[in-house]
Formats: sequence, structure tokens, C-alpha cells
Amino acid sequence: MNQHTEINGNIIDTAEINARVRDVVGSLVPDGRRDVQSIDRLTDLGFDSLATLELAMALETEFDLLEVPEGQTVEMATVGDIEILIGSLVGTPATSA
Amino acid sequence: MIAQPNAGPTVGLLDVEDVAVSKTGGSRLPEPRALYNQWEKQQWAIAHVNVRRDRPQWEAMRPFARQELLTSLNELEVGEVFVSRTLSTLVGYAPSDADRLFLSTQVADEARHAQFFQDYLHEAVGLAETTSEAGSQQESVYSRLFEPTLRASLDNVAASGGDIRFWHTAVVEYHLVTEGILAAAALHLTRQIARRFSLPALEEGLGNVIRDESRHFTYGLAATRRAVEGSLRGHMAEVYLAGVETAARIMVNPHRKAVTPVLRPALLQRAALLLAQWDLTRQRALRQLRLMGLPDLREETQQVWDRSLESALSEYAEIWGTQHPVAAVR
Repeated sequence: MNQHTEINGNIIDTAEINARVRDVVGSLVPDGRRDVQSIDRLTDLGFDSLATLELAMALETEFDLLEVPEGQTVEMATVGDIEILIGSLVGTPATSA
Repeated sequence: MIAQPNAGPTVGLLDVEDVAVSKTGGSRLPEPRALYNQWEKQQWAIAHVNVRRDRPQWEAMRPFARQELLTSLNELEVGEVFVSRTLSTLVGYAPSDADRLFLSTQVADEARHAQFFQDYLHEAVGLAETTSEAGSQQESVYSRLFEPTLRASLDNVAASGGDIRFWHTAVVEYHLVTEGILAAAALHLTRQIARRFSLPALEEGLGNVIRDESRHFTYGLAATRRAVEGSLRGHMAEVYLAGVETAARIMVNPHRKAVTPVLRPALLQRAALLLAQWDLTRQRALRQLRLMGLPDLREETQQVWDRSLESALSEYAEIWGTQHPVAAVR
């Protein structure tokens, strides 16, 4: 059963969001692009503070994030944390199948 | 003979905690002649640094990191160029030959620093000679907020024929605020970034610059201490506090939009990084008070710093219609 999310009027599968998150993270791994998994820790992938900031800015562009909502999670230790964070920000789940 | 980067004694690499203190609490700051002697032993050459060896890393660097590092290098280059162009006024009106000779070595150092940063930007980063990617994208905060003060002080020195009160004012602004607080913090932070990105030429060059600045800074401490122990204690304290106030504003830089991540974890990290940089700078402003002969000014300096930060953060919010990242996470 897949969750769907609305982004800019488009209904997007949660799995697709997660895949896009992993693609952005993988493309910015400091030592060069690689495939990443949800369980991968950013520090293990080589992300330091500057690289994490660059990643955050790239995710904002990729998902058109504009505002900082209240009560946002403060954890961004693993790729999975980012998937959950982005999923919570890009819209309300529209349907499930 | 050109000294190797680590050869010869250093004056604490800009760390005031390393300056010797006697059992009675008095400092043993070097005389101008001793600093001159160090200058002779600590010569270096840009050619030996070979800035071109960093070129491959810059070519592979992603845009975000490149801009972050360029911003830092731009601030350092602007400061060095400004000082190299203007310091001669202090040389011409120095109160003694020993002061004049040491300050002359500093003029030579500043020229070398300015040339180093310009060569680095052109030959390692790859900027064209006629343009400055770093400078064209944003105005230097140092130029905007502190250069007018320094220019006015130098005008006063020249117009008064070298009035010692004005001369010492400029020394505090050049040696203790520009170099002791702002440049010291910026150089160390940029050197850390150079290490993080494996930029050996930049790391080595910055190490050389830091060693030179240590001599200049130590000279400023000693000269200011003489003024404090003479008849200028109140005036030196006033000038220093004004400089600290400006330094705090420069840290916030209210006229430039700060990178403010929407993702809260990144925002928190960004704010923490900025706060760490600001705290390093504040610590420097406080720690040199003892060697200036103004240890009792510590609390007031802290208050001025805090007030100036808050004022600059409010100014930022007014200009940009949004909070600075540091204010946003409080």
C-alpha cells in the first residue's frame, strides 16, 4: 500500500519522494556520488556541517520548500530521517492505495 | 634565506594566552626591536607556497562550498589590501624610530599578504585578473562597517601632525580590532576550512599570514599598553569598546542575507556554527584586555558585545523581513 503526497498540485507517491531524497543525498556524498540506503548515517557517508548545509539547500530546491513550519523534527542523522522529514513537509498525504 | 613555515619562534599564533605573564601578573610583551628580529627570522615567499597546487581541488569543488570559501577569502583579501594601502600613515607618525622600523616591516608583510590572496584567487581558484567572483557577488562587510572609521582615524593622525592620541586610536583599530579580533578569528576558521577541503597551499599560506599577524598584534598590544599606562587609559578603553561594538556587527553582517535553511536540523546546525564563530571572536575581544592593561574592562566589553549583537540581529530582521538564522532558532 503506497502513500501519496501532493506537491505543487501533483500527486506523488511517497516511495517516489523517498527515492528522490536518496538520489539527492547520493549525489552530494562528499567523496562522490553513490547509492545510499535509508539506514545510512550521514556522518558515515562523510557529511560534515558544511556538506549537510549544502544537502539541506539542495533538498529545499528539489522539493520547493519555502517556510520553516513549527514543530519540525530536529533529527537528521540518517537518510531515513530525511525521507520522513521531507515527507512531512511536502504536503498532506492525499490518498493511499 | 627563506625560513620554513614552522621555523623560528612564534608569538603565540595570535593567541593572547600564549604571551608570557610574570608572577606579579605583568606581561612581558616584546619590544619593537625584538619583534623586528622575529620578522627577519620568519620570512616566507609566495613562490614557495606554490598556490597553483590547489587548483585541482577548486576545479572539483561544488558551487555551495566554493561560494562559502570564496566569501571568507574575499573578506581576508579586502582587509589585507586596505591595510597595505593605508598603514603608511602610522609609520610616518610613529613616536620612535623603533616603532617606525617595526611598522615598516608590517607594511611589507601586508603587501605580501595582499599579493598572496590575489595570487591565490587568480591562480588557484581561477578567477580572472580583471574580475573578482568573490567581490562582485557581495560587498565586503569589513569595508562597509569598519573602513570609514579607520580612514577617519588616519585623517586625524595626518591632520594633527601625528598627535599621539590619534595615533594610538588608529593602533587600537588596526592592530587590536582588525587584526587581534576580526582577522585572527577569520584566519583560523578559514584555515580549518582549507584543511577540511585538502587545500595545502591555502593552509600553508594562511599559516604564514597568521604568524605575521601574531607579530603585528603583539606590537599593538604593547603599544596600547604603553598608552594605557600613560595618560590615555580612558580614551583607549573608549576606542576599544567602540571597536568591539563594530566587530559584533560585522559578525552578524545585517546587510547581507544569510543562508537560512528551511529544514530545521540544518537550520540548527547553521545557527550553532555561526554562534561558535561569534563566540570565538568574542573570546578574543575579552582575552586581550589583560595584556592591553585593561582587565577591569571585561564586563563592560561583554555587555557592549551582547548589545551590539542584539542590535544587529534586529537590524537584520528589519532589512530582510525575516529573522537571522541565529535568532530564528531561539
